[in-house]
Amino acid sequence: MNVLRRFRNPVLMNELKLRMRTKRSPWIITLYLLVLGTVALTFVFLMTGAGSYYNPNETRELFMMLSLMQLAMICFVVPGLTAGVISGERERQTLSILLTTNVSATKLVLGKWLASLSFMSFLVFATIPLYAIIFLYGGVSPAQLLQVFAFYVVTMLGLGSIGVLLSTLIKRTGIATVLSYALVFGYGVGTSVLAEVIREFIRFQRNANNITGPFPVWPDFFHSLNPLFAMMSIFEEGPFRGLRRMAGSKYAALALDPYAIYCLFFAVVTIICLALSIYLIKPVKPRWRRKAATEE
Amino acid sequence: MIKIDKLRKRYGKMEALKGLSLEIDKGTVFGFVGPNGAGKSTSMSILATLLEPTSGKAYVGGYEVTSHPRQVRKLIGYMPDFFGVYDNLTAEEYLDFYGANYDIPVQERRQIIPQLLELVNLSHKRDAYVDSLSRGMKQRLGLARCLVHNPEVLILDEPASGLDPRARIELREILKELRDMGKTIIISSHILPELAEMCDVIGVIEEGNLIAYGKVEEIYARMQEKRVLRIRLVDRMEDALTHLKQQPLVSNVTREGNWAVVGFSGDDQQQVELLRSLALAGLPVAAFNEAEGNLEEIFLEITKGVGS
Repeated sequence: MNVLRRFRNPVLMNELKLRMRTKRSPWIITLYLLVLGTVALTFVFLMTGAGSYYNPNETRELFMMLSLMQLAMICFVVPGLTAGVISGERERQTLSILLTTNVSATKLVLGKWLASLSFMSFLVFATIPLYAIIFLYGGVSPAQLLQVFAFYVVTMLGLGSIGVLLSTLIKRTGIATVLSYALVFGYGVGTSVLAEVIREFIRFQRNANNITGPFPVWPDFFHSLNPLFAMMSIFEEGPFRGLRRMAGSKYAALALDPYAIYCLFFAVVTIICLALSIYLIKPVKPRWRRKAATEE
Repeated sequence: MIKIDKLRKRYGKMEALKGLSLEIDKGTVFGFVGPNGAGKSTSMSILATLLEPTSGKAYVGGYEVTSHPRQVRKLIGYMPDFFGVYDNLTAEEYLDFYGANYDIPVQERRQIIPQLLELVNLSHKRDAYVDSLSRGMKQRLGLARCLVHNPEVLILDEPASGLDPRARIELREILKELRDMGKTIIISSHILPELAEMCDVIGVIEEGNLIAYGKVEEIYARMQEKRVLRIRLVDRMEDALTHLKQQPLVSNVTREGNWAVVGFSGDDQQQVELLRSLALAGLPVAAFNEAEGNLEEIFLEITKGVGS
């Protein structure tokens, strides 16, 4: 019973109640499913030529399209959902009151973080029945579907934690939101650009005979951090020739799956961002910091 | 119950608190008075564990606020000068949320919340959304929120600011009830009369320093040392004003129609001497009154010049 009480988070429960109470929520879910459903059915309709033969291999394309559409939506929506969670409390002047209650900074940050992602998760998981269309025609394994949904969760948690950190650091929700979007899109583009710059640099050095041996996997590594390419790797697509070649060599043990690299990296980012947010939100810092401050 | 010891708080170059020290006994209603920016809210934020002092210590119920914030939070109910509410919650849900934040079991919350709503006269608004409440009602709901975990100490930063006279009276009545319940209450205001009626002890703070501290009557008595005299003359007002200006214990000589109003820093005997000197000078004094200094004047007198 005491263990359960430790995990009880009133901030999370309250946020869930507030978010699901509005009339807007069911409308958004309906609209979202309608749009995705229309896209999926239109795709099937066009592929079958209005009732004729349908090639099951094309379900893979439909699956990829649906998955990438949802990923794009996560990247567009999550920064906006999370960048106001702490700054919004501050602007609403409810943060100081919350900080004087028994709710710890950890519970407060985790509650706000999870609550802000709850609606997004709800939207994403509500689309599972749409994937039934894909299974109707075959061509995609259940393991791939599980991987895609796990990928969504990891991405949401990671991007959400960045939004929460910026919301803690920046007092104004507007600025925090803009910065969150800038950071997410900068990250999305930046990792790929960096990967290609490194690839070109290595290629140049190899042509000049400054580097010998197999082509380094650094570009693949940076591509693995990119949400788009990491998701593509689930479908055995994406610019990961180096890693695939490595998997077939004597260094196979070092050839991590791009999906695994992505998940690992986002897990670390999530932990760091949340830990920093928890530290920063504490009005009275832990003793060791104050001691250090007085000794200066 | 509360002890503040040489508390300093610096924001960059600005020093908001300059070694503030004071003690508040259990069950006391303490009024923290001072002009805007004097350091009241800073002191209260430190006591509420929301701000770290630059130096010095503050204790609530024996716990130092920076080293034992969790214990202190259990003891206090804090209401900031400006606070927000969650608009999509009803008054009952609002209190329930904070009750949950204090780890109060559901069954207990169900018992406490109606009692609290009754205490702050909001029973009829139990199912009303918080954003539909008036400012005075929100303020009372905020007070109920402070009491949800039955704290020993209430820290109320400018609770009456922005309230209309009726709401102020209602708030005052509730605070009286809380005082009778034995709570230690710290209330701040920049309006002294607002506090005088409900406080046992008053501390006047200006520019981060405590410049007056004591029971309301003591501060009153102290200020009576400098009294205001009103003298009505039938004639020769100009001569009277000149005569008064020459008296060593008289200051701030002004004229209000047939009345000369002067500040006087002597005792009763010296006051008699002043009246006699006016009579001996042949000035036609019709009335000679000691004006009752109101609290507003006392406050202005105490804080005079320190901030300017």
